[in-house]
Amino acid sequence: MTDKKKLGRNQKDTEDDMINLVDNLNREDDLKYNRRAFLKTAVGTSVALSVATIPFTVRAMLGIAEEDHERVEIAKLADLPEGESVTFYYPTEKDPALLIHTVNGDLKAYNSACTHLMCPVFYEKTQDVLLCPCHAGYFDVNNGQPKAGPPQRELPLIEIEVDNGIVYAVGRQYRHG
Amino acid sequence: MGKKTCWSIIICTIIVNVVMLQWTVEAHYGREYGSILLFSGISIVSAFIALLTYLQWRKIEYKK
Repeated sequence: MTDKKKLGRNQKDTEDDMINLVDNLNREDDLKYNRRAFLKTAVGTSVALSVATIPFTVRAMLGIAEEDHERVEIAKLADLPEGESVTFYYPTEKDPALLIHTVNGDLKAYNSACTHLMCPVFYEKTQDVLLCPCHAGYFDVNNGQPKAGPPQRELPLIEIEVDNGIVYAVGRQYRHG
Repeated sequence: MGKKTCWSIIICTIIVNVVMLQWTVEAHYGREYGSILLFSGISIVSAFIALLTYLQWRKIEYKK
């Protein structure tokens, strides 16, 4: 059969897509993207994930000897009626904190930076909760644990002491309860 | 150890390392320094296992 009698798509050097399916194959890609390359990438991924933990390890080793916290005066108890709160900074000037005299008469203190995106947290006495207004995050005033909203971690707990009617901050716990 | 076993071990190390990275970050935010060292240590050991397994797989795969 001569080329003239064939359909266009069956003639030599045709441009018909259904005939030139073989063009989909690329020898270079076949050599580059195969199961061997996949396994090598998998090993690389595993190693890369492992290496990603190393900066945290280094920081942990540098910060492992965190100094003891000082005893710092926060406020006079007489100046803090039930349902009120006062802001202070502990253990450094960069760590805002909240001393709360709850409506039940308890004294609680937490670092007030929301554990979601560090917005300041306020005491909402009508609901007796700690509220982060940025994204409606709620924390339990009794233990600092997240109750609702985006925060996943508890607020750091400031340990307090009351001495002669004055409230002191004496320490901090990051993970508690 | 066959090639399929090597594949399984390497995939397992990826899973372990993803979890360890997540736990390490969480421990970092919680300032649990002991946990950070533990999780990071597990992750590094896991990566070594992946490397050794890869060498074993390569030996089998490219053997004539």
